[in-house]
This record gives sequence, structure tokens and C-alpha cells, in this order.
Amino acid sequence: MSKCIEVRNLTKSFKGRTVVKNLSFEVERQEVFGLLGHNGAGKSTTIETLLGLKKADSGNIAIFGKEPRKHRKEIFEKIGVQLQASNYQNNIRVDEICQEMSVLYQDPADYRELLKKFKLENLEKAPVNKLSGGERQKLSVVLALIPKPEIIFLDELTTGLDTAARRDVWKQLKQLKQEGTTIVLTTHYMEEAESLCDRICLIKDGAKVVEGTVEEVVSKSPYDNLEEAYLWYMGEEITL
Amino acid sequence: MRKFMKLYSIEQKLAFRSLDGIVFGIIMPVGILFLIAIIAGGKAAGDSGYTFLQSAYASLIAVGICAGAFMGVPLTITDYRDKKILKHFFVTPCNPMHLLGTSMLCNVVNAVLSAVAVTVVAMVFFDYRMAGNPWYFMGTWVLTLVSMFSIGFMLASLCRTVKTANAVTSAVYFPMLFLSGATIPFELFPEGLQKVASVLPLTQGIRLMKAASMGVEAEKVGGIVILLFVITIVCSFISVKTFRWE
Repeated sequence: MSKCIEVRNLTKSFKGRTVVKNLSFEVERQEVFGLLGHNGAGKSTTIETLLGLKKADSGNIAIFGKEPRKHRKEIFEKIGVQLQASNYQNNIRVDEICQEMSVLYQDPADYRELLKKFKLENLEKAPVNKLSGGERQKLSVVLALIPKPEIIFLDELTTGLDTAARRDVWKQLKQLKQEGTTIVLTTHYMEEAESLCDRICLIKDGAKVVEGTVEEVVSKSPYDNLEEAYLWYMGEEITL
Repeated sequence: MRKFMKLYSIEQKLAFRSLDGIVFGIIMPVGILFLIAIIAGGKAAGDSGYTFLQSAYASLIAVGICAGAFMGVPLTITDYRDKKILKHFFVTPCNPMHLLGTSMLCNVVNAVLSAVAVTVVAMVFFDYRMAGNPWYFMGTWVLTLVSMFSIGFMLASLCRTVKTANAVTSAVYFPMLFLSGATIPFELFPEGLQKVASVLPLTQGIRLMKAASMGVEAEKVGGIVILLFVITIVCSFISVKTFRWE
């Protein structure tokens, strides 16, 4: 396996508050990597800085061995992104947003097939704002898959979904994993991390607490499941 | 180019679907044209020696520009920024400027359609004939459009959220619309109000277009042209300097 993402000593602050502190990690090709932490732990900032949406104060970032801010055009041909709580134009229909995304890439996937894969084919002509929460999140995955990406970034994809919809999305992500797509996701659902991630990295106040496979992370704690281990790492008191 | 045209065709569909541009930019000026022409079309406007219709024509043409510049452009851009649509374009191989370009083009198209609709209705129903040189008039139209759109872009840059943009665009759009003579004929204003209205950039643009459409030398034409150029340069500069993608 080879590395496709390398983050070295990444630091980012806003208005004097350090949101990401000296963070380093690597993501191998074809693995599912999860960034875990509380709300406000710096997960989204890490992803956005990694993607070059925000400029790092210090540290190095490489995707496919290149710095994203300098090689935007080249790198993003092969990367799909779902940003947290993204929205779409008023009155836009499912097929229109898919077409709009498709035209941006040199070799896009057939969005109709993707819609079918995610069981959204009957909603092709539906206005996006009429979709349910689950359907919208599935649509955002479809859009992230239009570039035929080698890596996809999913920022809190399943937040706000009900259990059935969440499981449905997981199933699709597992299939993507089998097809060899590298997935970087952030979540605060431990169950999701356990079910999907090959490796996880726990961050607290922007700094890394622990990194490894789910088993490794759990075994380094005094507990036997990820949820309790996570709380222990985060320094929360465990009741129950 | 193919990218741009495809994006444009979708954005244009969305613009037509939302109806705002059509209602405020096209139906409204045509409606006012009917009212003015039926009520006072043939009457002389003040002591200008021209009819109300001749005088109102340039103002009504400006309504389409006004709708695009002070509603369409700033509201679309701030909305796309709020919804992270511009931000999302940064994680694609495409430049987000493409999207802004298409949204501007939609508003220009709306202004053109508005001008065509007003002109056709005026000519067919009310026998309007432009006394001045149509090419010269088109030149003044373009200058007015460009300078007003630059104000719109500046508003889009300065307003951080859709909420402020809504408040600010209303505060700019309605006074410009009512005081510039675009709805109520300028000649009917008391002298004091005319002076106040003259401060508004749109009033100056309309003054220029009016003179061109009526084929008369406006006072201080050179001054107005320079003013509109300065507005364009200053507002474009401010909007570029203060622009934020998110």
C-alpha cells in the first residue's frame, strides 16, 4: 500500500485560538480513515485545511504527493468532497445539480447510474429541497462520486440521519471501499467508526490523542468498546 | 467555454424558475409603461417639451438594470456564499469565478429582455419612436448597466450574510427605483426632491440614457460619463478587495 495523503505538523488558528495543533497523520490508498472528536474539536477545520480551503499556519500537506493549494486543478479531478451541511441553489433539481457537477470534470461518471446505485433514480426530476434528510445526504455522496474519485472526503455525512438512513449510507460506503476508493471521513458516532473505518484518529482541542485501528485504540484503554474508550481518551467521566 | 455555457444554461433555468427577475425586471417596467402611457402618455412632461412617454422610456429601461444590479447580483452571490456553493467549487478543478460569471450573465440577459420588452410594447402599443440615435442610446445603456452592476458586486462583497444583503439591497433598490424616475416621472418631483434624487447614481445613468433617447444634449454629459466610469472602477476595486468566498 502507498500513502495518498500526508499531513505533517499541521497548525491552524483563528483569531488567536489554535483550532488544529501540530497534527500529523497519513492515509494509505484504499483505506477508510476516520477523524473522530467532539463538536468543535477541529475535525472540519482539519479537513478544510487539508483540502486547501483554508491556509495552514504551519506544517505540510500532500495529497497524491502534491500540495493541494498549488495543484488544485490537477488534484481535484480525482477527489470527491462532501462538505458539512452543504446546500444547493434554490429551485434546483436533482438532475440539474448532477449535470452542473459533471460538467466540471474531464471524465465524469454517469450520474444516472450513480443515482440508481443509491436508489435515487425516481427522484431525478425532484427539486433538491423537497428531498428527505437521508436522500439529500445520499445525493451529496452521489455528487462526491461524480469525478470517479480515488479519494472521497466526507465531513459528518450521517449527522442528523435516522438509523435506517444511516445504515443505508454505510452500506454504500462499504461497497465503495470494496471497489478500492480511499475514504476520509469525520464523525462523532463511534458505531460508524467501528463499522467503517480501517484506522481512526481521535483528536481533542485540535491535537491528536491516539491513532490506530479500532482494536488498537480500544486495547490501549482500560475499556473493551470504542465508545467508552473514546470517552476515556477524551477525559470524560464514564458513568453507567 | 463548454463548461461555462452548460453552467449558464442551468443557472438561467433556475433564474427563470424563481420568477423574481421576471417579475421585478420585466413585468413591472412593462406594467408601469402601460400605466404611464395610458394615463399621461401624450401629455407634456413638465415644461420639458417632451411627452411623458418619451421622458419615461429611458427610466423604464433602467428598471431591468436596477433589478439585476441591486437585487439579482448581490442576493445570488450572498446566497451562494451562505450555502457554501462557492466554497464547494474550490474543491473541484473548476474556478468559482465561472459560477459568478454565469450568475452575472443571467442578470444581464434579464436586463436585455426587459429593455426589449419595454421597447417592443412602447413601439407596438403606444407608437413610441426614439428621437435620438439608438446606437448612442445603447452605449449609454451599457455604461449604466456596467456601473450599476459594479455597485451590486460591491454590495455582494460587503454584505456578509443573506440577511444583511436582503436589508441592504432593499434599502438601495427601492429608493433608487422610486427616486430615479424609473417609476414616478422625475418631472413630477418637487425641486427639493429632484436634488436629493440627483445624488443617486442610477439617476445619473438615467439622465444620460434619457438625453440619448430624446436626442438632446444633456447638461454635463461628460461629467456624468466620467462619474459612471469612476463608480465602476471604485466599486469594482472595493468588491475585489473585500470579496470572500465564504
